[in-house]
Amino acid sequence: MSILASIKKINDYTWEIPKEFRKDMRVPVRIYATQKLLNEMDEMVYTQAINVSTLPGILKYSYVMPDGHSGYGFPIGGVAAMDADNGVISPGGIGFDINCGMRLVLTNLTIKDVKPKIRELVDLIFQRVPAGVGSTGFLKLTTSQFKEVVEQGAKWCVENGYGWDEDLEHIEENGCIQGADSSKISSRAIQRGIDQVGTLGSGNHYLEIQWVKPENIVDKEAAKKIGIFEDQIVIMYHCGSRGFGHQVATDYLQIFLNVMERKYGIKILDRELACAPFNSKEGQDYFAAMKCGINMSFANRQVILHRIREVFSKVFNTDAEKLGLKVVYDVAHNTAKLEEHVVDGKRMKVLVHRKGATRAFGPNVQGLPKDYMELGQPVIIGGSMETGSYLLLGTQKAMEETFGTTCHGSGRTMSRTKARKLVRGEELVKEMERRGIYLRTVSYSGVAEEAGFAYKNIDEVVDAVALAGISKKVVRFIPIGNVKG
Amino acid sequence: MKTPVIVISGFLGAGKTTFLKRLIDNVKRKLAIIMNEFGEVAIDAEVIKGKAVNMIELTGGCVCCSLTGELEYAINEIIEKVKPEYIVIETTGIAEPDSLIYNIENMPSVVLDNVITIVDCDGLAKFPEIGYTQRVQIENADFLLLNKIDLVNEQQIKEIEMKVREINDRALIFRTKYCNGNLDYNLFFGYFIERNEQKLKPEEKQEEFESIYLEVEGYLDRSKFEEFISNLPKEIYRAKGNVIFKDGKYIFNYVAGRLSYDEFNYNKNRFLFVGKNIKKFENNLKNSIKKILQNE
Repeated sequence: MSILASIKKINDYTWEIPKEFRKDMRVPVRIYATQKLLNEMDEMVYTQAINVSTLPGILKYSYVMPDGHSGYGFPIGGVAAMDADNGVISPGGIGFDINCGMRLVLTNLTIKDVKPKIRELVDLIFQRVPAGVGSTGFLKLTTSQFKEVVEQGAKWCVENGYGWDEDLEHIEENGCIQGADSSKISSRAIQRGIDQVGTLGSGNHYLEIQWVKPENIVDKEAAKKIGIFEDQIVIMYHCGSRGFGHQVATDYLQIFLNVMERKYGIKILDRELACAPFNSKEGQDYFAAMKCGINMSFANRQVILHRIREVFSKVFNTDAEKLGLKVVYDVAHNTAKLEEHVVDGKRMKVLVHRKGATRAFGPNVQGLPKDYMELGQPVIIGGSMETGSYLLLGTQKAMEETFGTTCHGSGRTMSRTKARKLVRGEELVKEMERRGIYLRTVSYSGVAEEAGFAYKNIDEVVDAVALAGISKKVVRFIPIGNVKG
Repeated sequence: MKTPVIVISGFLGAGKTTFLKRLIDNVKRKLAIIMNEFGEVAIDAEVIKGKAVNMIELTGGCVCCSLTGELEYAINEIIEKVKPEYIVIETTGIAEPDSLIYNIENMPSVVLDNVITIVDCDGLAKFPEIGYTQRVQIENADFLLLNKIDLVNEQQIKEIEMKVREINDRALIFRTKYCNGNLDYNLFFGYFIERNEQKLKPEEKQEEFESIYLEVEGYLDRSKFEEFISNLPKEIYRAKGNVIFKDGKYIFNYVAGRLSYDEFNYNKNRFLFVGKNIKKFENNLKNSIKKILQNE
């Protein structure tokens, strides 16, 4: 039977490939999608999710979120929770841009205040927050300082004057995941990351100035509690751990490939799924090194916030405090985290791999900041440049069904090469300006690469997770200015 | 004049750096090599630090670079500082190379000659499923080196070759051990001969390869020429030479379905076709070329 024919409909937004489909599957595959999104997924995604379901220690399901597409080993938009006692950890299940993630920042400015200054703002941010493949930041760190950064994350930044104490409360893990150990990272990784703190990077990384159109507030009460009001301007950005995370992944993939079968007897079909037992020396070393990537990324987004505050305060000639530049939340996309979840009625320690997927804890879950205990965790969903973005909240149902996880963005429907062949970057920039979006970029071909039509429809993706009940919509944002890496 | 670029792709540990070493040793030309990082090509050499690139000069005049700035800036800086005859880029094993390839195809200062992907046969025998990233690496290749054949048996090589062919049916496949397979390294450098010696002459010496040289005077019709090239028999995996269109004179280079041009002043259309058992196509090629002349 073909994979497509084996997909079983559970309800309008949930689908499964049963465990019986292939002998080596340990758990079924579960896909969250509307019928339309399901039809749009490439078949490789399903093969990859099936391969993931064969990994030792996987619990409940191998998940695909509605924005799923093929990636290195695991699908992007893939989730796999492993039993912490006898499961594995896999770099391909985390992604190479470790803790690539989103941060949402409020202002108390309105569209009327910002519209006349949008060019000035975007141009200045473009200057202050470097973008591009090998871009380097203004922060000059020594090796020992960099090691502090990767062990302490955003906390290091705030202690060194790049941010406010209150920022930390509104970051996953308070901006500093415990257990990061810089002795587990290579000197190459340090070399690659040392001058990249405070840089946006390239590819699908960007920074946007967005507008809360009154008709786009879905949940008025929740929006108000978060501090969102009609016609407000907010800032959203997407970036990660840059070359540093990439090198950490490369280093450990090589180590895992050497020991996986020889030392631990783990057999897999696709080398891109290289893994090691979570409790092994190699697994724990990678976990501690990967956490350095998580912290590097939190620090990166923290330093960028510092630069954004400088720019706004210069352009509006007012303190950043007075402009209300507060962090709503900062979420990670590419991580594996040790969490407690209930599986078959039993509370247990679980290593949740989220690759191109966002943690979406429901109300009253330990680890949430007190401001969101009642509401549930804010989830920031970046769309493509043209389509707009969302703020969602995590739900109890996500806790029960998906280890507290939801989608991360809109996901590609075509390859980058194909997108760029169909559209020219310069034309797109002009077209967006006509529609009221001012854009600065280091690479026109990169703009075409990230064109909206290359992505799944963000509304459709968000509808799928909302209707499935693993997230709740709060508000949709429309971009008016964009800096692209 | 644009600087030609070769891209080397392949999985972690497939042998990309080994292949690079062989290129450097076997082709005595001025190459600039861009690596993800300074890798295993360890050499004591002088470090030239630029804005977008760190360079070290290797013995024999090549330059080895690690990217610290944006790729396009880095490439332009290398061209300006060291004026290499060729740039060779080694990609990371864990990422899909398609974005990089597209970027190079669209950079004004360079022309993409070809993409070489090294396939680790030992790895594929042990892990039979070709993952997504490897698939994209294989898909984009003009030359595929099935490497580490000493670690697998004939049956396994055949199976791997079949799988690889399913993903890419246009690339020329070589079997190699330590990236060594009695290769004529000039094969990878389509833009050498024409620029450096005024005479384009067959110089592929490997026995199994044949070449055909043809000349014609007059203007060629560009679209007819491109159609002719795209319809070349599969046995012809390389074509290169000079063409004159109404809009200018060019050097062209074709490998496994990939055609590129650069401006080049030469007063004749000339073609060199290289492939396996291709002599039988000579008359057909002559006739086809007559048909792509612009009739005026």
